[in-house]
Amino acid sequence: MSVSTSPTLKPSGFEHHLTGRGKKRGGKKGMVTGLMLTPMVDMFSLLVIFLLQCMSTSPEMLVINKDVTLPSASTGKEIKDAPVLAITSDGVFMDQEAVGTVVEVLANPTRLMNRLSDLRKRWVKSNPSGEFPGEITLQAHKDVSSTTISQIMAMLPSQHYGSIQLAVVAGSSYPRKKI
Amino acid sequence: MAGASPTPQTEGRRSLDAEINLVPFIDLLSVCICFLLMTAVWLQIGAVQVKQSHGTAAASGAVGPYELEFKFTSPTAFQVAIKKGNKTVKSAAIKHDDLGVSLQELDTQLTTWMDALRKGVKNPEEAKNLISAAMVTPKTGVPYGSLVAAMDVLRDHEIANLGVVPVREGN
Repeated sequence: MSVSTSPTLKPSGFEHHLTGRGKKRGGKKGMVTGLMLTPMVDMFSLLVIFLLQCMSTSPEMLVINKDVTLPSASTGKEIKDAPVLAITSDGVFMDQEAVGTVVEVLANPTRLMNRLSDLRKRWVKSNPSGEFPGEITLQAHKDVSSTTISQIMAMLPSQHYGSIQLAVVAGSSYPRKKI
Repeated sequence: MAGASPTPQTEGRRSLDAEINLVPFIDLLSVCICFLLMTAVWLQIGAVQVKQSHGTAAASGAVGPYELEFKFTSPTAFQVAIKKGNKTVKSAAIKHDDLGVSLQELDTQLTTWMDALRKGVKNPEEAKNLISAAMVTPKTGVPYGSLVAAMDVLRDHEIANLGVVPVREGN
């Protein structure tokens, strides 16, 4: 925003409307404050256009489970729309719906398998001519044991989910230090 | 941009130029900016693609003469080997107290190996996809974040097909 303060400003047009207010009666020159509205409106318009442009090119929105802190990776690619399997330290969630605790799912994965199967059937029903892509997004907390994740990941291909997207936050995966 | 200053009248006729009331216009723009700033997604989320080949034909058919095996031996140490068929071509055990240092050494090691392997390849396309797949074996006590960090380093070396070996808790 530009605010020009000039007692010798010669107002004209719209500026007169603003600058006229500052003048005191009796011939004395008052402190005139002119607000340059045109560049301000220009700047605002550009800002709105820029923000709208940013929003229109943003990738697929992913609802992140509140108990999940995603790991970071620098080679992460754009995420595709797929069912989301969230694994927290306490539980397993399929599309925001609780499936059970991690221990329960590992001991008896029937509920998870049924849920995956239902989602696949629904996809096939709505896309009869297309081939099922088998994509699933895995959203796991970074401190969960890697063996737990590996066991759950091994269950997915049995329901034809062979392509797993590990959701990550863009950034360096490890702090670079001198060896 | 809409002009805010009307042309001065000279012959007494009413000018056709109309003043645009800028105040509500600025209000509207300000509200728009506030709304867009508040609803903008600042966290950039991506995905590391993994192909699980067990039980389905999901594994990609990328062809490369070598395969890579990566095994965690502790939360900050691992063994890495490049194989051609059943024969181990290169291998190393990397162990440091800090995972970041271990991963950095892995990065350096892979760069050296890839450069050495590329020297023997004449076809540039083949040189690009030397390693067809990499299998990562986790270990109890290794957090998922470390597993992803290791996969990130492997992906950085243009290894397209990554897989995770299922390991039971306690192994």
